[in-house]
Amino acid sequence: MADIVQIASFRIGAEEYGVDISQIQEIIRMMEVTRVPRTPDYVDGVINLRGQLIPIVDLRTRFGMERAAPTKDTRIIVTDVGSKRIGIVVDSATEVLSIPIEAIEQAPEIIASAATDYIQGVGKIGDRLVILLDLTMVISGAQAGDLERSLSA
Amino acid sequence: MPGESFDRAEFIAYFRDEAEELLGRIESSSLELEKQTAAGTFDAEIVNALFRALHTLKGNAAMLGFSDIAEVAHRLESLCDRMRSQRTVQPQDVELLFAGRDLLGRLLAAPARAQAPSDMGDLLERLEAYAKPAQDDTEAFEAEVARMLAEQSAAKAPVQPLPLQTGRRRTIRVDIERLDALLNLVGELVVNRTRISEIAATLAQADRDGTIAKALSESAGLLSRTAGEIQESLMRIRMVPIGQVFERFPRLVRDVAKARRKEVALEIAGAQTELDKTIVDEIGEPLMHLLRNCVDHGIESPEDRQAANKPRVGKIELNAYHEGNQIIIEIGDDGSGIDLEQVRWRAIEQGLVSAQEHLTEQELVELIFAPGFTTADEVSDVSGRGMGMDVVKKSVSHLKGHLEVHTERGRGTRFTIKLPLTLAIINALLVRIGDERYALPLDSVVESQSVGVDAIRTLYGNEILMLRGEIVPLVRIAEFFGLNIQRNPEKAMVVIVSVQGRQVGLVVDAFEGEQEIVIKPLSDVVGRIAGISGATILGSGAIALILDVHALVSDAYASGKVARAEYSAVSGT
Repeated sequence: MADIVQIASFRIGAEEYGVDISQIQEIIRMMEVTRVPRTPDYVDGVINLRGQLIPIVDLRTRFGMERAAPTKDTRIIVTDVGSKRIGIVVDSATEVLSIPIEAIEQAPEIIASAATDYIQGVGKIGDRLVILLDLTMVISGAQAGDLERSLSA
Repeated sequence: MPGESFDRAEFIAYFRDEAEELLGRIESSSLELEKQTAAGTFDAEIVNALFRALHTLKGNAAMLGFSDIAEVAHRLESLCDRMRSQRTVQPQDVELLFAGRDLLGRLLAAPARAQAPSDMGDLLERLEAYAKPAQDDTEAFEAEVARMLAEQSAAKAPVQPLPLQTGRRRTIRVDIERLDALLNLVGELVVNRTRISEIAATLAQADRDGTIAKALSESAGLLSRTAGEIQESLMRIRMVPIGQVFERFPRLVRDVAKARRKEVALEIAGAQTELDKTIVDEIGEPLMHLLRNCVDHGIESPEDRQAANKPRVGKIELNAYHEGNQIIIEIGDDGSGIDLEQVRWRAIEQGLVSAQEHLTEQELVELIFAPGFTTADEVSDVSGRGMGMDVVKKSVSHLKGHLEVHTERGRGTRFTIKLPLTLAIINALLVRIGDERYALPLDSVVESQSVGVDAIRTLYGNEILMLRGEIVPLVRIAEFFGLNIQRNPEKAMVVIVSVQGRQVGLVVDAFEGEQEIVIKPLSDVVGRIAGISGATILGSGAIALILDVHALVSDAYASGKVARAEYSAVSGT
């Protein structure tokens, strides 16, 4: 069966999200983030990942949720989106899932989340629902114009 | 058996490195011999050195089966033999040597190519005919050489200058990207060291007598010191002597002088001065252009020089040296200087200034850097077209450098280039604002001081500081960036910075000392942010943002703050 998507799943609040594993560079523990002034509020700042500076996006803020204090489960998922390497802060990283393509549905009209624009689809595993994120949209979608500007100016 | 494991590609690379060095020697010997020709002397030792270089090259080339190179080297050897036996060097000999050296250079660029360059057979024939010992057929020689020279200038094949080396150095070539990768790995080391220190601290609480924790933290300290040293060494590796660029200039000056029928002596000093490889790679072009300009426009013809009571031979000095955090490169000639009246007319003709405009001497000199400006009456092959002085200036600015020119009619012109030692490393003053650290380039810092709040005055709602009778506007960085940080109610830590003579006091929360930092661009990461020019990773692994002092100062002045403050000072408020 070639029609299986591999997804790294993570939690933000009560919801479970997933990102195509091919976009993920690595998952690291929360580390010290240096604030960079004059950036949108969901840009946490930059981190030093082995000598490389990587901007950090707080997905909670991005999705219009309350910012949460980091816990021992908080992770940074380092992703490659286009030519840019970006870290996203999530509440916890859960596991790698293999989801058959036919188990992925278009995003339902009504989803109790502000993040509808960034949703690629919803994967169903038993009674679990995993919201598949379109990272390109998270980073550079129409509504993310300000981030895009600040990322590519 | 060493022969069985030898890797041909690697061997060829060695051969090529050595051959380039040998070509350098061949060229410098040839230049020496040319001087002797002019002076009418003969030094057999130079011919011997030339012969040895050719002989080694021939041997190496033959061993690898590069028969073309071996052949040319062989013929040039015969030429040396002839010079030795006749104990004299003719101008024709030197021309043949240069032609041969250039051919070798081209062959070397592609030693294994199937077809020899079209002019190779020709040159070999001539070398053979010419190198035959002793026939007093001077006329034939001269005709031969005249023909050769004509062909040479007609061929106009762009000669790729090789990075020449004088003397033998024990060096290897390394791709700079590999060094950068190594540097990132060192960063990783440093981060891990911090991690280990944390573990040591945790352990100290659990470990009753603390010996294990102590040993661990000592070891972590050592690790960090070593990592720091590696970092520094890597930076040093990026530094190369500027001589790498200078080495091709004697030949350049010689060729240009010859083409323009001028007599020029180039004196080089400071070739050992080191600077960042990136800068060395980019400074060659502008320097080359300035040198051409000196020969072409600066140095007068021998006749004019004699008429002006100057030595026939014009002098060009090329000098490099360190001054503080900068490297200074000077190119000076003892030629005619820039004719400012002519510059003015040209500029008017070219519509750069109006005829009514009154310009100071310095403003006139600066006109030569205007785009499209040229003083040449006719477009010459050398410097009257192509890269203009404006491009030279632009290249220098691109390297964060300054270009100055001083000229004196009849005495000469001197170009001074000031460059940072490296684009990647600067000395910085570290400051703290809120919880974050920021770095200020030290070259723009005048002083830093703690100031009581009562010393800060307000003019039209703008905070200022009186410093030795001067009004210095203050910029509170935290507020400039919109950071939500409480002001210190008692005092202000002020860093006085100066950009182009304009001073501004930057208010920070604390001074954290000076440090050499490696600049990393931030623009690839989060875009351009007004007031921030980059970031750096400190020894602890923490990130410090680098303040764009230039932007902060311009902003303070553009906002009208200072104009109003100065006005009030003048009007005695």
